[in-house]
Amino acid sequence: MKLKTYILTRILLSIPMILIILTIVFFVLRVLPGNPVLAMLGPKAPPEIIHAMEHQMGLDKPIIVQYFIYLSHIAVGNFGTSTYTSLPVLQELVQKFPATFELTFYSMIIAVSIGIFFGSYAAYNFGKPADILARVYSIFVYSFPVFWFGIMLQLIFGVWLHWLPVSGRSSPFMIPNHIYTGIYSIDALLNGQFDIFVDAVRHLILPSVTLGVVISSIFVRMVRSNVLLALSSQYVIAARARGESERKILFKHALKNAMPPILTIMGLQFALLLAGAILTETTFSWPGIGNYLITRISYRDFPAIQGAIVFFAFFVAFISILVDIINAWIDPRIRY
Amino acid sequence: MDTNIEIKNLSIEYRMRNGTVHAVRDADFSVDKKETLSIVGESGCGKSTTGHAILKLLPSNARATGSIIYNGKNILTMSNNEIRQIRGKHISIVFQDPMTSLDPIMRVKDHFFELIKAHDSKVNEQEMIEIASCALEASGVSAKRLNNYPFEFSGGMRQRVMIALAIALQPSVIVADEPTTSLDVVVQEQIMEVLKNLKRTKDMSIILITHDLGIVAEVADKVAVMYAGEIVEYADIYNLYKNPLHPYTQLLLKSVPNIKIGDMELHNIPGSLPDLKNIPQGCRFRDRCPMVKDICKKETPPIIDKDGRKVRCWLYG
Repeated sequence: MKLKTYILTRILLSIPMILIILTIVFFVLRVLPGNPVLAMLGPKAPPEIIHAMEHQMGLDKPIIVQYFIYLSHIAVGNFGTSTYTSLPVLQELVQKFPATFELTFYSMIIAVSIGIFFGSYAAYNFGKPADILARVYSIFVYSFPVFWFGIMLQLIFGVWLHWLPVSGRSSPFMIPNHIYTGIYSIDALLNGQFDIFVDAVRHLILPSVTLGVVISSIFVRMVRSNVLLALSSQYVIAARARGESERKILFKHALKNAMPPILTIMGLQFALLLAGAILTETTFSWPGIGNYLITRISYRDFPAIQGAIVFFAFFVAFISILVDIINAWIDPRIRY
Repeated sequence: MDTNIEIKNLSIEYRMRNGTVHAVRDADFSVDKKETLSIVGESGCGKSTTGHAILKLLPSNARATGSIIYNGKNILTMSNNEIRQIRGKHISIVFQDPMTSLDPIMRVKDHFFELIKAHDSKVNEQEMIEIASCALEASGVSAKRLNNYPFEFSGGMRQRVMIALAIALQPSVIVADEPTTSLDVVVQEQIMEVLKNLKRTKDMSIILITHDLGIVAEVADKVAVMYAGEIVEYADIYNLYKNPLHPYTQLLLKSVPNIKIGDMELHNIPGSLPDLKNIPQGCRFRDRCPMVKDICKKETPPIIDKDGRKVRCWLYG
């Protein structure tokens, strides 16, 4: 099979997956207690207004009819209107998403670099102090609760040392003049506003280190065990017997062969991070989707919650397609 | 004839958590140019360990003493960088399992490129493809398959690719570590044919490690029989088959299966290898030896020179 055919198949296969997620999200939210109309109008609203409102929102229709209306709306990119702000949910999500993506992306970079370098170094020095250190590090760091670690970093670097800001994604008035992507660090560079770039990065350091370090523990372990497995295989010995240098054996043979399972986990983690950023975003008052979701849950803003979850679902599907494609590109056996 | 590689007093031990395994003790042999030496013995007798030691490919828990002299230098004391320049270019190895010896995510040509670049960074792609095609054709693989991945080859074809990799840079010594063990007899025959041709046309010394005495008879010039880490008999092929000296060699030759009506029984050597972690005093073969004497239990037999052959047995002492 050609790589192109593989990619196409993979994309088609993700359609049923997304459909299932959409269905589950819809029905779970309907089963949960709490009436969005009551939440909007308050407990003292007169019944006729409540009925009128329910009719207007289509909540008086049979649930199965509501379900198909919801599906047909999603299909054309209509995520509904927020019952809290009366703005289209998609518009709000698109506006919040870059902040979350920026945080997640930088956390991933930190986690992946720590994971790959520390993990392969530990595998290469199996049983030696570096390896023991890596194992202790991953168990230790994995047991950090994200919010606790975030608060500790805020305390040390923000409160005591005054090195870094502890909340938000920018200082007052330090927003890029022109927004292209919504990712401040990139927009600032595109505008050539170097001071704003520095400000954005300074705000990013603590939250992304918090998330990145906690996630890196899994990556260190994953990389270490997979590289260890690859290093003990016959083709590594065979490469050594051809006179290949140890550094190339580690990166060209062992790490590359170990990559597919590592990438799969990394993709899943990246998706989880987006959702898991809720804790970090709350700890660092980061104005992203995590914070948005928390606020809207307390207002019973059904369209917004539903929209945010569906948005995540699409993103998870997208990442997993991406991971599968990269894996197929690395390992030709996958696409045959 | 000129000696290509000479092994003197080679002893190898593996340090394990529950003791030290004495895998090879006091091995002595040499291989001349254009000569094929075969190391035979049953599983676990130290023959592969010896073969890997020649390329310094032993795992990190192994300790090797003695010397392996190649071109006047001792391989065992070489630095990583020195041995790296020898591996693949001067001495190469073909492994037992062709299914796992090629990197599954690398094209066949990239294996060749890696080999060639590791020894000469200035070669351009055209030259590399030429070298690779030549080696592949010599091993019976079409050069058209350079762009294929290992999983597109059968086991026998992969072993041919491995052989092609081993001969690509025209090394002076090839260690073939049970190259046909995991292959069926037809492919075995073809692979051995390839090795025989190479010997004839390319002036290489081959160290053939195997437990298949049929193959040994076909290609070897000299044979070293190993038992429990020791070379028990070292002779040229003709004398060894005609008149085996050591009781182990005699039993080994008898146990070669014979397809004759009326003699369909499989002969074997009763007993098993001694525990290599704590080897008892005396001869290592004494518990399985039909000709055991009192002295065998007390003293380790020395290497005895008999008619220009070497044997480690009290029968001749």
